[in-house]
Amino acid sequence: MKRKYLPFAFLLPSLVILLLITLFPLFFSLRNSFVNWNLQLNPNPMGFVGLSNYSIAFSDPTFTTALGNTIKLSFFATAVEFLLGLGVALLLNERLKGSRVVRALIIMPTTIAPMIAGFIFRFLYYADGLFAYLFSLIGIMFPKEGVLGNSATALLGVAFTDIWQWTPFFTIILLAGLQSIPTEILEAAKVDGASYFKTFLRIMLPNLTFVTLIIVMIRFMQVFNLFDIIYAETMGGPGTASRTLSYNLYYRGLVEYNIGYSSALAWVMIIIIAVMINLFTIVGFRGKEL
Amino acid sequence: MRTRPIASTAVLYILTAMVVFAFMLPIFWMLLLSIRPAQTNLTVPPTLFFRPTLKHFNYCFVNPGVSFRWLVSSLVISCCSTLLSLPFSLFAAYAFSRFSFRAKKFLMFWYLGLFLGPPIVFLIPYVIIMSKIGLVGKYLSMIIVYQTFTIPFSILVMKSFLDEIPYEIEESAFVDGAGRLMALFRIVVPLALPGIIVASMFSFVFSWNNAAFPLVLSAKFTKPLPVGTLNFFATTGITWNYIGVSSIVTMMPPMLIFLALQKYIVRGLTFGAVKG
Repeated sequence: MKRKYLPFAFLLPSLVILLLITLFPLFFSLRNSFVNWNLQLNPNPMGFVGLSNYSIAFSDPTFTTALGNTIKLSFFATAVEFLLGLGVALLLNERLKGSRVVRALIIMPTTIAPMIAGFIFRFLYYADGLFAYLFSLIGIMFPKEGVLGNSATALLGVAFTDIWQWTPFFTIILLAGLQSIPTEILEAAKVDGASYFKTFLRIMLPNLTFVTLIIVMIRFMQVFNLFDIIYAETMGGPGTASRTLSYNLYYRGLVEYNIGYSSALAWVMIIIIAVMINLFTIVGFRGKEL
Repeated sequence: MRTRPIASTAVLYILTAMVVFAFMLPIFWMLLLSIRPAQTNLTVPPTLFFRPTLKHFNYCFVNPGVSFRWLVSSLVISCCSTLLSLPFSLFAAYAFSRFSFRAKKFLMFWYLGLFLGPPIVFLIPYVIIMSKIGLVGKYLSMIIVYQTFTIPFSILVMKSFLDEIPYEIEESAFVDGAGRLMALFRIVVPLALPGIIVASMFSFVFSWNNAAFPLVLSAKFTKPLPVGTLNFFATTGITWNYIGVSSIVTMMPPMLIFLALQKYIVRGLTFGAVKG
């Protein structure tokens, strides 16, 4: 076999199966987005409707609410996770006794299924739950319907479940980044009389830029797609207070069975995600060899 | 090493203790929930001391053992989807690691994109497709759908391990007359075994923790644990203690795997992008 085709011989099996299981459903749903199809009314599509499913989306207040919630949630959760995660990483980087054990323990929330994390926090968020009691000790009162039952706090409750789960992810990865900085450099900075803050700003932070970019990208996307926690905690409620794009898509497609409309919603989401991934990779992987 | 005054060392220890407390508390509270009498579930102030009971565990896993069925489903689905992805991803990872070709960067970003893309967009087409071919409610439907993330994940992670094995070792085998496949199985696979194990362990965890797909693709007897647990949110009332038991059991395997794979967590969670 010619050397030129050799890599594709190895790639072929996975390529064929991935094309089949990813591109086929995506194009199937693209087709569905141009038809009027509601499974409650008819098991089969009921005619071509052009782009009207798409135009419905942008005039549907639930969709715009969901889009707003998704953007708020993604920025807030990713930012808090990064800042908290960096803080804890700096703390563990002080190499106190037992920090290895702490590192092993602290990653545990990240290992938990998001659906299960949703159950855990749903229990903790009750008005007569543990968190309400602990926060009342420091003078913060929970809403009497519980965090998730109040439309002002429901989305915040979802965000903090995700923050609890994924802050350790930032910590572990940033800590690895910090510990890969050669000690000689840190020693040299100390000999030159650099303060901790200056060392952090001039040596540690520049060393973390690439990893930070990667994990912020990964996390931002994952929060943007968040579904399990919402399903477990609020089902997008109360009303549509915590409804995100993913939950909205699920609701339109598999609760209301409006296949045509939900397929259009899916494609709007795919386009948004594709643009974001491209922006991230253009910035982040510029000139990098794979 | 920086020398610190005792006072600031003490502050650092206290801060660390607070961090551990904050991250462990929800898990600990769930553990207590699984062994506490129901009347102590939601009290103000919360009940910390009570007579522990195993009757919730007994109800969930022994008699009548409703959660046991879900545990079996979780194991079947996660093991099969991991095993199925291995041969596909091994060959592809080898190609990505050993050759440079024109579509390489494009394909790798596509695989990364499969990871970062919204799984929910696959949900609706898959429900329709699977019901058309009569697979809804069967293990096979979930095992197939999980390949959308187990294969690309394993490819990226295995590639990062294969990159660390020097090409010269294979080349010397070629000189001795070995073919590509023989070199792959006799030389590369044994050396890449840690990578293959790490990739499969993480694939197992991702499959185990997935709930969105089985939510719509599983049936009464094929529900995995996270989805089965939703049954305890019945209209007649939420049985929190059973949810506690089911949740604790669901948490166990991923936690143990992460403890065992300490060294590789960074690499696994960043899909091989950060070596750690």
